[in-house]
Amino acid sequence: MASATRPTTVRERVAESDRSVGRLLLVAAGALFWGWLVVSWVNRWVGGVLVPVGQPLVPPGAVEATLAGVPGLAAYAADAAFVVELTPEFARGTWLTVVITAVSLGLGFVIAVPLAVTRVYGRVSAWVSLAYTELLRGTPLLAQLFVLYYGLNLASYVPGALSGVFARNVVWVAILGFTLNGAAYQAEYIRGALESVEEGQITAGRAIGLSKLETIYYVVLPQGLRYAIPSWTNEFVYLIKYSSLAAFITVPELYYRADQIASETFRYTLIFVLTGVMYLALVLTASKVMARVEGAVAIPGLGAERGE
Amino acid sequence: MSDDDFLRVADVSKWYGDEQVLEDVSFEMDRGDVTVLIGPSGSGKSTMLRCVNRLAEAQEGSILLDGEEVLSPDLDVDDLRREVGMVFQGFNLFAHLSARGNVALGPRRVLGLSDADAGERAEEQLDRVGLADQLDSYPAELSGGQKQRVGIARALAMEPKLMLFDEPTSALDPELIGEVLEVMHGLVDEGMTMLVVTHEMSFAREVADEVVFLDEGRVVERGPPDQLFERPDEERTGRFLERIASHD
Ligand SMILES: Nc1ncnc2c1ncn2[C@@H]1O[C@H](COP(=O)(O)OP(=O)(O)OP(=O)(O)O)[C@@H](O)[C@H]1O
Ligand SMILES: [Mg+2]
Repeated sequence: MASATRPTTVRERVAESDRSVGRLLLVAAGALFWGWLVVSWVNRWVGGVLVPVGQPLVPPGAVEATLAGVPGLAAYAADAAFVVELTPEFARGTWLTVVITAVSLGLGFVIAVPLAVTRVYGRVSAWVSLAYTELLRGTPLLAQLFVLYYGLNLASYVPGALSGVFARNVVWVAILGFTLNGAAYQAEYIRGALESVEEGQITAGRAIGLSKLETIYYVVLPQGLRYAIPSWTNEFVYLIKYSSLAAFITVPELYYRADQIASETFRYTLIFVLTGVMYLALVLTASKVMARVEGAVAIPGLGAERGE
Repeated sequence: MSDDDFLRVADVSKWYGDEQVLEDVSFEMDRGDVTVLIGPSGSGKSTMLRCVNRLAEAQEGSILLDGEEVLSPDLDVDDLRREVGMVFQGFNLFAHLSARGNVALGPRRVLGLSDADAGERAEEQLDRVGLADQLDSYPAELSGGQKQRVGIARALAMEPKLMLFDEPTSALDPELIGEVLEVMHGLVDEGMTMLVVTHEMSFAREVADEVVFLDEGRVVERGPPDQLFERPDEERTGRFLERIASHD
């Protein structure tokens, strides 16, 4: 879309180009990150067509040799090669982090919507739903994971058909834990948004002959879920980071692998800075994507549109 | 009181908790009649209207619509509401739907029309209220008068046999009232049966068959507009009319 107002003053134009350079860098970094991840995953699924499974996409030796020849960067050549050596492990861990977060968020949403609806419009069910949300939000997530893992020993109940899907059955336990916990938080955010839909619209829905449930489905939810996007994005971002708690029940996701490598190599600072960068990239991607979604579904005239 | 009244409200009483808001309210309408309800704020006008489509539940009395008892516990309220359209002071449009979507929702989901048929009906009704050029506008993009006309089209799309209007022009800027009244005049000409709460006295004078004056939940006086406006029997009616006249 051609923008109607072009920056006029020099200062505005400089600021504008600074912004676009910043944006370009961010997009480039994102493309590099996701390109690396996706190529690594695909390479693993197809059995190592590009490089043998477990090998970095570029040889560490070559990286070291190249950097050694660049004045000023030579001092970092060995570290760079070390990092490249670790990329396959990081890619595998990140894969599991992404899967656990995405699946738990999706399943949690499916539970959260009825929870929120019953909280707002139910009678007895409102109390059940309140009890559920308060219980899950009022106790530590890690304790919940431990109850599922040690207390109920759920990992041993994973049906045969599913047990081969992930390397360890505990992944299912983690997904269950994050789903149940995340649903409670998501329900709180969605509840708040549902309550902000004007009462009069519900009356109007009833007045044309829609049942209460139909009114909720056709009138309240389409608006409430839109209004919930910004706060729901917070839960998304939290879950990306909280998914690292799965490491405590031996799920080999990003944090677990980083911790293992660090204790083998003693390069704690480097490894955890790198791990932080991975999480940051995931979080930034999530919030950018959700901002796009919010803009795409914004109701015309209500001012939630983002000019891009 | 004849047996073939189209709408017969008889001795309707309603309480919210301990507070009685309607007390033995009675009036009748023939098919095609326009009845205007007036009265001070809190007198129970909205509540009376809402009892007719069961958005509020009257505890005592009887409301016969086309021979059927509206207050019967066996009545399917969704069936009733299909046949009784309602227009609100605050428009209450569905914010996430375009004008067309607002009007089509009832035909689509309540009457079970196909998307195409519901859309077509919506276009017809929006054309009827003079909004053929705003089909794809969203409520937030419309003026108050346009919003209210969408609200009227939304009710009409259900092909109701009775229309309830609850102060349809009270929330509008004065210059936008005319376009809504014009649409309502059109409906009167088409023979629509209308029960209207409004303080637009000129509208009442021109089209009402009967004006009912409510105060503190009771019918103080009712009669043809000329009589009620010019020669009210009750002192209270006169005082109320003077008060709203001085606001105009
Ligand atoms: N849902 C409710 N719960 C409790 N009381 C109510 C409710 N709705 C209305 N009332 C009370 O019933 C009385 C009649 O209210 P109603 O809205 O019918 O008056 P009205 O004549 O329409 O007034 P207005 O001109 O202000 O719209 C008022 O005293 C009001 O406070
Ligand atoms: Mg009212």
